[in-house]
Amino acid sequence: MAIDVAVLVSVGRHPVSGRARRADADARAVELALSIAGANVRLIHAGDPGEPALRDYLGMGANTMTVLRMAPEADPVLPLSAHLSSMRPQIVLMGTRAEGGEDSGLVPYLVAQALEVPLVPGIVSLSLAGERAEMLQGLPRGRRRSLAASLPLVATVPVMAPAPRMSAFGLARRGTIEVKDVTAAADEARAAWTEGPARRRPKRIKVMKAASAADRVRAVTEMAAGKGKVLQNLPPDEAAKAIFDYLVAEGIVQAKP
Amino acid sequence: MSEERIRRDPRAERETRRARAVEAEEALAPAASESPSGRIRRDPRAERAARTGRAAEPVAAQPSAVPESESGRVRRDPRAERASRTGRATPVAPQPATPVPSGRVRRDPRVDRTAQRQATAARAEAAAPVKTVADPKFLILAVPDLEDARLSSHDKDVIGAARGLADAGGGAVVVLAFTGPEGVKDGLGEAGADRMLRFADASFAGYAPERRAAAVLAAIQALNPQHVLFPDTGVVGGDVGRRVAVALGDRAASNVQRVAPDRITRRGRGGRADFALAPPRVLLVAAEAADPVIDERYEARELPAPRTEAVPRVKDRGLAATDPATVPMAEADFIVSAGNGVHDWDAFHRVAAALGASEGGSRPVCDAGHLPRHRQVGASGTLVEPRCYVALGIAGAPQHLQGISKVERVVAINADAHCDMVKRADLAVVGDVQALMPALERIAKERRHGN
Repeated sequence: MAIDVAVLVSVGRHPVSGRARRADADARAVELALSIAGANVRLIHAGDPGEPALRDYLGMGANTMTVLRMAPEADPVLPLSAHLSSMRPQIVLMGTRAEGGEDSGLVPYLVAQALEVPLVPGIVSLSLAGERAEMLQGLPRGRRRSLAASLPLVATVPVMAPAPRMSAFGLARRGTIEVKDVTAAADEARAAWTEGPARRRPKRIKVMKAASAADRVRAVTEMAAGKGKVLQNLPPDEAAKAIFDYLVAEGIVQAKP
Repeated sequence: MSEERIRRDPRAERETRRARAVEAEEALAPAASESPSGRIRRDPRAERAARTGRAAEPVAAQPSAVPESESGRVRRDPRAERASRTGRATPVAPQPATPVPSGRVRRDPRVDRTAQRQATAARAEAAAPVKTVADPKFLILAVPDLEDARLSSHDKDVIGAARGLADAGGGAVVVLAFTGPEGVKDGLGEAGADRMLRFADASFAGYAPERRAAAVLAAIQALNPQHVLFPDTGVVGGDVGRRVAVALGDRAASNVQRVAPDRITRRGRGGRADFALAPPRVLLVAAEAADPVIDERYEARELPAPRTEAVPRVKDRGLAATDPATVPMAEADFIVSAGNGVHDWDAFHRVAAALGASEGGSRPVCDAGHLPRHRQVGASGTLVEPRCYVALGIAGAPQHLQGISKVERVVAINADAHCDMVKRADLAVVGDVQALMPALERIAKERRHGN
């Protein structure tokens, strides 16, 4: 039984050169979709069908892509939701957030609300067991959480998911793009925003309240010494036991009872 | 042309002026005393007081211990005067009683400085009075992640941002805490909470975004806060916040870099552009967008939590086991790291495997090819932030210590008791690394795996 997997893809920007490319998280979502056994992967994009970067997704192995043609900065949520409602895929995948516009990360939530299906954020792997999907969710510090949900569902894929495969030039050339004209409302709220180049701020080193410059210098340069415990002249076995007891007490490693 | 010029006699004018001045002086200065030479001594201070109509500045009471000088004049102590004027006593260190030939007591500036520093530290450490907002004009709701029942620095930044919004207009900060059954280990009042809503039920622990979103929506309905702030983290605050925003029909601002009551800045276009806009109701705040509250204490009065009901559609099966060797260094949870003090590399790999830790190394070790380059920790390698870092035979070069500056717990094993890593460590063992590694491996195998 083939399962319909729709992947919503967007046009990204290279962080250094600023050139159009496949968006990093969306490419990982395509990779995840292609790794699902027996999946019938459909790519959907809302925007300009003439964008060359879209062919990078076709080069990953999907044969066709549907492009909902609309103005560049229009709101894609309604056309996407309408298209997905008529298509009824079992799984909808997309990157957690885009990298070329508002990057709000709200589209998956709005789509899931429109389709009335559960949303699972930040998954790094997905496998099917009958009508259920078993997923691993990527957490900080390299941890993974195991989740299960029944189909249909919407899931987002973060940049910590497995790296996407390279795009093959021949496949990219041969892939077909189906264009569908839709009416999308212009984003009026955004007209009131002012846009400027991002201002990078230095990383915060230490938060402190100091009365004088001397206090500030001291707080930054002084090493917090003397609070730790120092064990000296212990035989290796006892020292190792002290270290292991410390790791267990702090919850770093679990000892068997 | 009628020209009427009065001819002035400058000499006569000067005389008259001088006579007037003498008269005034005599009238104003009755206290002027006659000196032995017969001249009248002027008291400029009394004169000034009479002119300005203000009593002369009170001269600080002289302590009786101040010795009179040979001339009989009383010596002033400018420091005591300054202290009495400012009402703040200058901390004076206990003077070492060193008799100097001249009989003067000698001060030790080093001791003075230490005493001053101690006094400053004591002032800072003294518990700040609890600040209360009795009748807030509006409320700001902050929902920290509280991973592991602790406030992360990102959580504290979010509460700090809420604090800024509340303080700008006489509002109060309500912190909504999903504490789990065991409660919060950090003080919410110290983080800047005026009020607190606690959801301690076990069903909110772990992965429960639908329940949490329902609870936040119930709190919004009950309190009607002006803004709701979440940390913009991947699967906790950012997830719940977006669910809440979609349910409210609000266009949430995510990746917010600056927060002010009338204007916020959020980042977009892949991190290359900043958008400035009027703040929507739901704000997903980036880390370090605002400074956390420090050295202050707020009330954190508990409010009754509303009852909520939500049926989760996604089943949480708990954390999955992961292979520490495949985890990228920047994400690793527990790192065992080797430096120049390690010679037995097989023992090092075995001890890391036995403890279930990711391997790391210092720059010399990676330069020598004992570990791959992507395992290097430090300024020119990876800046790591595991929960625990075990440094085997690493002395602690400044660049290496920079790489572990965010680590909470450091265990150091080193032959040199005076190296910087031992000073940095929370637990340090001074001894031979080669002898300790097999012992640690043995005990880890015994107690973790039972063999």
